[in-house]
Amino acid sequence: MNIAAKRGWFFLISAILLIPGIVFLIIAPGLKPGIDFTGGSTITVEFADPVDQQSIRASLESLNLSDTTVQNFGDNTFFIRTKELTDVQKDDLLSDLQDQLSPSGYNVLSFDIVSPLVAQETVIASFWALFAASIGIFFYVWWAFRNIPKPFRYGTAAIVALLHDAGVIIGVFAILGVVADVEVNTMFLIALLTVIGYSVNDTIVVFDRVRENIIFAPNRSLEANVNLSIGETIGRSVNTSLTLMLTLLALMLFGGQTLRSFLLVLIIGVLVGTYSSIGIATQIVVAWEQQDFTRIISRITKRKLPASE
Amino acid sequence: MRRYLVTILVITALIVISGLTLGFQNIKLSGFERGSDNPLGLKLGLDLQGGSHLVYQTSLEDALGNQIQPTEAQMDSLRRIIGRRINETGLGDPVIQILGEDRLLVQLPGVSDPARAKTIIGETARLEFKHRQIDVTVPVVLKPSSIKSIHIGEFPETLTDEAGDLQEIIENPLADLPTSSAELEQIISTSTDDTLVTDTVDEANKPESNSPDNSNAQEISFLVIQLDDEAAETLDLVIQRMIESTLAYASGLKSQYTVNRLQVSISGKNEVRTVELPLQLIARVPDTNMFAMALITGIGQPIASSIDKTKELFGPELEFELVEVIGAIDEDVGLTGDDLSRAYAGTQSTTGMPIVNIEFNAQGAKRFGELTRELLNTEDRLAIFLDEEELIAPGVNAVITGGSAYIEGRDFTPDRAKDIAQLLEAGRLPIPIELVQERDVDAILGADSLKKSVIAGSVGLLLVIIFMILYYRIPGLIAAIALILYASFLLTVFKLIPVTLTLSGVAAAILSVGMAVDANILIFERMKDELRSGRTLLTSINVGFNRAWPAIRDGNVSTLITCAILFWFADTLGASIVQGFAATLAIGVLISMFSAIVISKTFLRLVATLSISRKTNWFVPVGKKFLPKSSD
Repeated sequence: MNIAAKRGWFFLISAILLIPGIVFLIIAPGLKPGIDFTGGSTITVEFADPVDQQSIRASLESLNLSDTTVQNFGDNTFFIRTKELTDVQKDDLLSDLQDQLSPSGYNVLSFDIVSPLVAQETVIASFWALFAASIGIFFYVWWAFRNIPKPFRYGTAAIVALLHDAGVIIGVFAILGVVADVEVNTMFLIALLTVIGYSVNDTIVVFDRVRENIIFAPNRSLEANVNLSIGETIGRSVNTSLTLMLTLLALMLFGGQTLRSFLLVLIIGVLVGTYSSIGIATQIVVAWEQQDFTRIISRITKRKLPASE
Repeated sequence: MRRYLVTILVITALIVISGLTLGFQNIKLSGFERGSDNPLGLKLGLDLQGGSHLVYQTSLEDALGNQIQPTEAQMDSLRRIIGRRINETGLGDPVIQILGEDRLLVQLPGVSDPARAKTIIGETARLEFKHRQIDVTVPVVLKPSSIKSIHIGEFPETLTDEAGDLQEIIENPLADLPTSSAELEQIISTSTDDTLVTDTVDEANKPESNSPDNSNAQEISFLVIQLDDEAAETLDLVIQRMIESTLAYASGLKSQYTVNRLQVSISGKNEVRTVELPLQLIARVPDTNMFAMALITGIGQPIASSIDKTKELFGPELEFELVEVIGAIDEDVGLTGDDLSRAYAGTQSTTGMPIVNIEFNAQGAKRFGELTRELLNTEDRLAIFLDEEELIAPGVNAVITGGSAYIEGRDFTPDRAKDIAQLLEAGRLPIPIELVQERDVDAILGADSLKKSVIAGSVGLLLVIIFMILYYRIPGLIAAIALILYASFLLTVFKLIPVTLTLSGVAAAILSVGMAVDANILIFERMKDELRSGRTLLTSINVGFNRAWPAIRDGNVSTLITCAILFWFADTLGASIVQGFAATLAIGVLISMFSAIVISKTFLRLVATLSISRKTNWFVPVGKKFLPKSSD
């Protein structure tokens, strides 16, 4: 099967995967950052009496806490996000909610405060951590593939695949943020890091085959070697992602509400990560070898040149 | 076979260690202690067991009002002072940790509403030096007219009520006094001996059903007095103060401290005897204005061997005087943390003993000089209070006017000296802090998350094992065994280090299980290729492992690089959760490599020596046609 010849299709699929997310990121408010990234307070509270989301919103507005989000976690449990509250304000808020909505009482399951200062630092630290991890992986892959021609390209391709996977997930959450009020928090960041770890691991397995086949048959075309390698590793790729999916689905079914959006990231990540090793990482190496990119650029510039004159 | 013997022994040893570690809830091996009340004795994070996670930031300003960074020593002092305060409130087993340069993490497991803890933590430290006067004597003034009756006898068991009837006294607070002199001596000595007080107070409160019947038993004489209401009130207040001081002493919060006593002097027939009684030897007869005082001397002996002899000693014309001996009075002298310029631990130049050096500023030196002059050659002490709790109360052996001194103690260890110095520093330069992050998780939610994670993890592992066995057959079975061993080794390492297990740790564990499975799959797929090309089973196993190794190595090394970078970057506040993830993942990756490379390989080779190995089909995945490799 000549998979490498279809690399244009893969790039198209990825573009289709990425573009809606990018659109939502740029046009719509984009990712809905949780208090870990903006500062503020969140309360997860379980009411004794039946309460609906709308009446909580109304109560919060009557308390002049208008800039709030309320999510229904099921089981009469709600997630309320608001500005940074002091202990007194928190107690006032809860007793008001009790008076208005649930006279039989409530139970606070979790309460979080993050100051804006800390939130800002978290954003910066996360960004740098992701950046540094990418650089580290790039150099390691470059070094690990030093025995075959142009190892630099493998490092670059691994990073592009990694960014591709992160991009798809961020895009999905940008859409979910707009349509379902899903917020991103530190756990989202952890999930993203997990996906990056998996993505790179998966890419390296395919690259390892390519490396072996190139060393074994250096005169065969790269495209042929890549096709052979993908064919040889596809069974392993499917089985590995299948086993991971089994674990993740088990967690999704039996795990708590707290892990739900976290697992969603991992499930998307495993699917995309497996796909990107075949469809992005290896195809970029082939496209680079075939000078696809220069060809496309020159075609565009040639076409544009007369127009600009 | 022999080649694998060592490996098999190592694996067996690891299985035994792992079984022992996880089998016992708590492990104690001469100074090495691990374990908890959680399942398998693992350490759980707050998100899995409930509790409060508080992060404080110092807000230190210089003279111009600019924000400045605290020094390392200041952060250390802050950590200690907050630890001390939380311990005093008894809020569980806190974790207090310095984050970065100017932040402090306080974790209170099991506390889901830490309002009280937050109030205590947020206070600014206050250090005070006080003049502790020891054994201040205050006569108890009783007007002669207020004394209704005096007699020597046993503790009153009956009394005549207003109607003239005899009534039995049911509660006799002193009825259980031991009568042997040795035990009495113990009670007497509570006023000066540190270690005995808690025991004997407890003992005195315990109703003893069988009072000791020793051969040297002696009859205790009591001085029984009856007072009018006003005088009874006065004496009752004295007894209340004795109770307070005894409780304060028994709580162990005070060092160098003596309890209040009551001096009782009896005179009659030219005989004057004085005894000094602790709380345990004095009682008000319930519901009366009668007070009974045991006439026992400082060495635990009754002043005479029987009641009759005591009566005979003093004759019928009895007189008495009472003096309250107040164990300690702490007097404010206006010397505080503001007057201290430095405190640091060191060693005494001649003896090499650990000491705490203190230096005062000019104003402090003057006051300190006056204080030492007052204290010199007295029993009085320099009591140092931090947040109204006594820190230490040394005596003074010279007048110190230069403003620098050192505190030595017979029981000082270098750690104790350092501890005191840091607490003094904390009180000298209080660091204002503010809360920048709080995360409270309800214990029920935590327990729920834990339960669900455990169920989900087990189901996930089981599904993976079933898949591996069904698809890869015998190698799959071996991988399943390797996977179970992997999981138990992972938990063993978590328990031994110990690693605090959090939800992000669960994520890392999932990923590392995935990698452990992946390593096995890589190996089996390679093995399959080799078997297809017609090699023998054993050769296929060896070649398969060698071929799969670079992929496993590179994949895992890149993950370890990621972990290292994350760990390094996460060394600031918001990312402590990231740090836990990175550490857990790194451990998981290392063990997964070991599991795939050593355990799976050894087991596969072992199986290859068995007769089952002739059924090569059982070693290749389901549904794969057993064909020679098409091209190479």
